[in-house]
Amino acid sequence: MEPMRGNDEARQSPSQRLDALFRAYRDACPDPEASANFMPNLWQRIEARQTYMFSLRRMANAFVTAALALSLGLGVYMSIPRSTTYSSESYIEALAEANPLETPEILGPVHLEISDPGR
Amino acid sequence: MLVDFELIERAQKGDNVAFNEIVLAYRKRILGTITRLIARPEDVEDVAQEVFLRLYFSLDQLRTAMVFEPWLHRLTVNAAYDYLRKQRRRQEYRMSDLSEQQVMMADASASGKAEHEEQHQKKIRESVDSLLGAVSEADRILLMLKEVEGLSLKELEKIYKVNENALKVRLFRARQRVLKAFGSSEKRKDP
Repeated sequence: MEPMRGNDEARQSPSQRLDALFRAYRDACPDPEASANFMPNLWQRIEARQTYMFSLRRMANAFVTAALALSLGLGVYMSIPRSTTYSSESYIEALAEANPLETPEILGPVHLEISDPGR
Repeated sequence: MLVDFELIERAQKGDNVAFNEIVLAYRKRILGTITRLIARPEDVEDVAQEVFLRLYFSLDQLRTAMVFEPWLHRLTVNAAYDYLRKQRRRQEYRMSDLSEQQVMMADASASGKAEHEEQHQKKIRESVDSLLGAVSEADRILLMLKEVEGLSLKELEKIYKVNENALKVRLFRARQRVLKAFGSSEKRKDP
């Protein structure tokens, strides 16, 4: 029988032989049974992921709360009216006050000293 | 469907008992698919747990219980793909650490083991795994789902969310590459 099967195989096209090999592969790799630890390990992984996600969410919430509190604090701080030390006079007035008209350096005539080094 | 819609809807509402039942129903099938997709028995359970973990946290995004199975397949494909990508990086790192002589010795030892391997099934697994090395991880998964898992183009369309023609083209190209590798391996066997 074996030589006949060999002849049959030889008559098949490469594509058919490849299909046969794939079918044989399917039979050579049956669905395995899971180990006893499969379910406990799976639930352990699920719980670990849940804990991680929960702590991540808590951190994010804490961050948002802190940012909100900070913005609120800043808002309150900015809205408090404070006594101002600076005067309400305008810039021109302040400039005029700092340089009164009688100041000689500003208002005095310009003295040009023309020297003739040639004479 | 291995479970009824009502169970899925209960799980979507956060019923852990219902979710547990879904896992128990689909566990074997998913383990089988992952076994064939990643070809590393020691990591199969880890990847399968990752699939159900993703399912647990994404069940609320499922629009209707009717698309549960393509959704689960999609999660399986993504988890297997992520695993294969990580694995390739790890292998590249490991191989780059070895000297040329060490790599040759590793190859010789592997082929020696294969020579002493008497189980016919193991030979088949090895030859298919090596053939699928001719295509990318993404194409390997696509071919596996079509040729080994026996999913139809319609089912693949739902999983990949691309149209049938694009899938056909991609499958054809991947299959041609595997066929080429298959032809070469047959020539090596019968010079």
